[in-house]
Amino acid sequence: MSDRKPPSDAAAEMDGLLAALASDRAATLDAARPAAVAKQRKRAGMTARERIAHLVDPGSFREVGQLAREADAAPGERPADGVVAGGAMIEGRPAVVLAQDFMTMGGSSGELGGRKLHMAVRRSIREGAPLVMLLDGGGHRIQIGQSSRRYAPSTTTFQEFARLSGWAPMAAAMLGAGFAAPTNFAGLADFISMVRGQSTMGLAGPALVKAGTGEDIDKFELGGAQAQVDRNGIADLGVEDEAAALDSLKRFLSYLPSNARAPLPMTAAPAEDPARAEALRGLVPANTRKAYDVRRVIDLVMDEGSVFEVKPTYAKNAVTSLARLAGRPVGVIANQAMSLGGMLTGPACDKVAHFVALCDAFGLPLVYFIDVPGFSIGSPAEKAQLGRRSAKLIYELGHATVPRVSVVLRKGYGLGYVAMAGGRSFEADASLAWPTAEICAMSIEGAVNVVNARRFAEMAAAGEDPEPERARLIAQMRAEVTPFGGAESFGLDDMIDPADTRPRIIEALERAPARRDLAMPPKIRSICPI
Amino acid sequence: MSEIELESEVAGVVLSVTASAGATVAEGDEIMVIESMKMEIPVLATGPGTLASLAVEEGEAVSEGQVLARIRP
Repeated sequence: MSDRKPPSDAAAEMDGLLAALASDRAATLDAARPAAVAKQRKRAGMTARERIAHLVDPGSFREVGQLAREADAAPGERPADGVVAGGAMIEGRPAVVLAQDFMTMGGSSGELGGRKLHMAVRRSIREGAPLVMLLDGGGHRIQIGQSSRRYAPSTTTFQEFARLSGWAPMAAAMLGAGFAAPTNFAGLADFISMVRGQSTMGLAGPALVKAGTGEDIDKFELGGAQAQVDRNGIADLGVEDEAAALDSLKRFLSYLPSNARAPLPMTAAPAEDPARAEALRGLVPANTRKAYDVRRVIDLVMDEGSVFEVKPTYAKNAVTSLARLAGRPVGVIANQAMSLGGMLTGPACDKVAHFVALCDAFGLPLVYFIDVPGFSIGSPAEKAQLGRRSAKLIYELGHATVPRVSVVLRKGYGLGYVAMAGGRSFEADASLAWPTAEICAMSIEGAVNVVNARRFAEMAAAGEDPEPERARLIAQMRAEVTPFGGAESFGLDDMIDPADTRPRIIEALERAPARRDLAMPPKIRSICPI
Repeated sequence: MSEIELESEVAGVVLSVTASAGATVAEGDEIMVIESMKMEIPVLATGPGTLASLAVEEGEAVSEGQVLARIRP
C-alpha cells in the first residue's frame, strides 16, 4: 500500500500515543489526586482503589473502563466516572469487583458509571463468578436523575441482579455512605458487611427523611451498624474497620463455589482430635431449664477454626454459621438456648430461611442442631406474622435439594422440631439424637397444664394444693418423652454418643448425593408464604 | 465513655443476681439469671468494665427491653 510508512515512523507515533495513554491512565489513579485522597482519609480509611487492592490477589485486578469519562470531563476529572470495576482473582478464584469512588462526586454514578455497574453484574452472570461490591457513595447524580427524559427508560440493572441471585455469590461491603442506591445495589446480596461507626445503609438518609417525614435522626441512629446489623438484621456482620470488612467478604466467599454449578471449594481434612470429641459430652445439661452456649457444640463438631457465624448479633436465638466438616463446606443451623431459650421468633425465621436458601443455592449441606422449645407465642408473635414467617422455614427446607442432617441435642418440640428438619420431616440423610433429647409435640409442663386445667382449678377451689399432682403428671409424661422412644419407633436413625457426632455427620455427608430429586408435581413455581 | 445498658431480651422474673455492683466484669461474665419460658436464661456482660449499677433485684418481674444493669467500660 502506498500510504505505508517506514516502521521507524510508526514506532515513534506509537510512542507518542502510548505516552498519552499512560498519562490518561495515570490521571485516574490516587497518586494524581492528592487533595481528594487527603479528604477521603478524613472520612474513611482507604480509597476505592486501595480497597480493591486489599481485597484481591496482588496484581490480579484487570480494570474495565478505567479510561471512561464523560464528554465534558477533562482527563483526570471525574476519573472512571466514579465506578472502578473489573475482573480479579480472590484467593485464587475469579471474581468481578466493583467499587464506588466517593472521591468522584461523592461516589454518585454518571451515565457511564451506571453502565459500568450494569456491565459488572452482566459479567458476573456470564462468567459465573462472584460479584463483590465495595459500596460508598450514591446513585444517580441529581442533575441526571431529575430529568424525565433521562430517567424514564431506566436500565435492566436490577433485573440483572435478580438473574444473578442464586447463580453466583453476591457479597457487599458498606464502607461509608450507604443510604439509597448502595443499599438498593446490596438489596439482593447474599452477604453484607458494615464498619461500625463508619458505615451507613438504608433506603434514605437523614436529610431526605427529615424533608419527607419530619423525623430528625442521626445517620448512625438511622442506618449505622448497630441499627442495620444488630437490630434490623438487613446486614450480616458489623466489624471494626475497613480491612476487617473486606476480609469478611473473602472469608464468606471461601465457603462457596464460584457459581451454583461449580464444585464446592474443598480443603484438606484436619487430623481428628479425640479430646475435642469427648468434650462434647460435657456441654449440654440434661436439665432443660439450664441454658448453655450451642456455639461451643458447633465449634467442637466442625473442623477446628472453620466456623464463620453469619448474623451473629441478630436474632441470637438461632445460630447460622458457615463451617467445614472434614474440609467440606456446610451450613449449620442451631437453636441457641442462651438466648430466649432458643425459641423461634419472626427474626429467627427470616434469618434461618435466608441462610437455608443460600446454602441450597450453592450446594452446601445443612447440619441442624436442635434444641427448640417451639415458636414464640402471644400477641407479639402474631404481630410479627409468625404464623406465616414460621412457614418460610418449611418452604425453604421443602425446596432444598442439598443433603441435610439433624441432631437433636435436647428439646425437639412441636412445629419447631419439624422446621429444624427433625426426625423424618424432611427426609434427613441422617436423623440423630443425643441421649439428652426430649422430643414431643409441646412442652411437657405446658401439655400437663392444658390437659389438666379444669382438674387443677377444681383442686384449688376445694382447698387442695394441685402442685404435687402437677409434678407427678409432669414426671410421668417426661418418662414417655425419651430419645429411646424416638429411636425405638424408628422415628430417628440412631441415638448417639455426643463424642461420635462429628464422624457420624461426616459419614452421612460422604454417602449422600450432592443433590436430591424432590419429585415436585409439574408446577411452574412455588409461592413463598410471605 | 457512657455506660452500657444491659437490657432483658425477654419478659420474665429475676431468678438470681450473680454479680455485685462495683465488681469488675469481663465480656461474657454472668451478671444475673432471668427465668422465662421455663428456662433459666443468663444475662451476660456485653463487654469488659465495672458493673456500675444493678437496676433490678431478685424476684422482680422484668419486661422485654427493660434495663437490668449498667456497665462502665
